[in-house]
Amino acid sequence: MADADNRLKVRLVTPDRILVDGEAFAVELPSRSGCLEVLYGHAPLLAELGVGWVKLRGLSGQDSQEYLVAWGFVEVLPDRVTILTPTVDKPGETDHAEAESRLESGRKLWNEAGEDPAKYEEANAIIHEAEVKLEAAGRGA
Amino acid sequence: MANVLDLRRRIRSVKNTRQITKAMKMISAAKLRRAQERAVASRPYAAMLASVIGSLMRRVEIYGPRTGELRHPLLLSRAEKKIALVVVTGDKGFAGAFNGNIFKAVLRFLADKSDKEIDILAVGRKGRDLFRRRYGAAKFVADGAPPQARRRAERAAPIEVSGDFPGLLDQLSIERVAEMSREIVRAYSHLEIDAAYLVYNEFKSVISQRVVVERVLPIIEPGRPEIAQARGMELEERQRAGRAAMTSGVSVREPDTEEAEAEARKFGTAEVDYIYEQPPPELLDGLLRQYVTSQLYHAMVESVAAEHAARMTAMDSATNNASEMIDLLTLTMNRVRQAAITKEIIEIVSGAAAL
Repeated sequence: MADADNRLKVRLVTPDRILVDGEAFAVELPSRSGCLEVLYGHAPLLAELGVGWVKLRGLSGQDSQEYLVAWGFVEVLPDRVTILTPTVDKPGETDHAEAESRLESGRKLWNEAGEDPAKYEEANAIIHEAEVKLEAAGRGA
Repeated sequence: MANVLDLRRRIRSVKNTRQITKAMKMISAAKLRRAQERAVASRPYAAMLASVIGSLMRRVEIYGPRTGELRHPLLLSRAEKKIALVVVTGDKGFAGAFNGNIFKAVLRFLADKSDKEIDILAVGRKGRDLFRRRYGAAKFVADGAPPQARRRAERAAPIEVSGDFPGLLDQLSIERVAEMSREIVRAYSHLEIDAAYLVYNEFKSVISQRVVVERVLPIIEPGRPEIAQARGMELEERQRAGRAAMTSGVSVREPDTEEAEAEARKFGTAEVDYIYEQPPPELLDGLLRQYVTSQLYHAMVESVAAEHAARMTAMDSATNNASEMIDLLTLTMNRVRQAAITKEIIEIVSGAAAL
C-alpha cells in the first residue's frame, strides 16, 4: 500500500513560520468535533481544529512525528494536507508552569463570568487548552 | 578662539559618542536581520487565512436567505461613532523619525475623526506615554476584577487611551496578541465600537517602508486591507537608509517570496466541493477571529523590523555626522595650535629685533 505514489504533502504553518513541509503516509488531526485520520485520496475537507496532537506518520523517513496544537484550521485535499495553527509545541516542549498559570486564569475567568455565555465559552476554551497542555507536560517529563 | 586643550577634549568626547552610535548601528543591523526574517516567515499564515476566508465567503451563504442581511457580525459595517485605534510604536527612541511619523499619522487621523469617540490602544511605550500625556487614560471601575472582566467607568473625554500592552513588542507572542484581538472583536460584536483601525509602520525592505492606517474591522475584503492613509519614504530618507544598510551588510532588496505567496493563496480555494467538518458559519466565525489576530500580529512583526531599520539608519547618520565633526574640530585645533606657534615665534623675533 505504501508505495511512493500515495504520499500526502503535509504542511504545518504557524504565524511565525512554516514548521513542517514534507510528505507523510497518514495524518491524524484533532478536529474540534473529534479525532480524524487522513490518508491519501481523502475527500476535500475544511475543518476547525481543537486542542490535541497532530500525528504525522512516515514523515521524511521517520516513523511518526507529533505536535501539540491548540486551535487552528486544516484543509485536506486528496494529495495534500495544510494545517494552520497559532500555537504549536513539540513533545517535551510544553511549559508546565505556563500551562498551570493559564489554567488558573481560565478558572478565575469562569468564576467571574457571571451571566455572559460568551465568557463561559472563552473560559472553557482556556481551561481545556491548559488541561491538555498540562497532560502533555506531564507526559514529556 | 578656543584653546588647544579644550578642542582636544571636545574631539575625544565626540569620538566616544561615535563609538556608541556605531555600536548601536551594528546591534540594530543584527536585530533587523532577525526581525526581517521573521516578518517574511509570518506572511504565508496571514495570506492563507485571507484566501480561505475569501473563498469561503464566496461559497457560503453569508447573506440570510430571507432577510438579505449579512450574517456575520464582523462583516457588518455601520456608521462610525466610536472607534478603537490600535497604534503600534516603538518602545525606545533613538530611531530617527520612526515614532514621530506614526504620531503624525495618528494626529491626522484624529483630526479627520474629530467628532467621534476614540479609544486608543497603545502598543509600544513611546506611543503610550505620548497619548496618555495628551489625552489621558481611561478610567476603569476598581472592583479588583481581572483585566478581562473590568468595567469601563464614565468616559471623561472624547479621546482616551483605553489599553496598553507593556513589553508586548519585546517578546512578541501570538497568545498575547490573540487576547488583545479577542477584546477588540468582543467590543465590536457588542456594538461598543463601530470600527477598529490600526496604525503601524509597514516594512517591505529597508528602503521600502510606509506608515499606514488600516481598517481592521469591519472586514470588507479579506486579503486586501483597506488603507485609510499611507505615507511612504521620501527619496532622501530612502538614500540614507540604503547607505546605512550597505555599510552594515543588510540586504536592501525585498526578499523573493512570490512563489511562497502564490502557494499560500491556494489555501482553501481549490475548485472542489469541500466537506465542512463544522457548519460553515461556525467555521467562518473562527477564521475571521483568527484573521483579526493575524493582522495585528503581522503588523507588530513588521513594525519591529521597521523600528530596527529606522534605528540603524539614524545611528548611521549620527556616526557620519560625528566623523564630520571630528574632522572639522581637528582642523580647527591644528589651526589654533599653528596660530599659537606663529604668535610665539613673532614674539621671539620681535623681542630679538628690539634688543
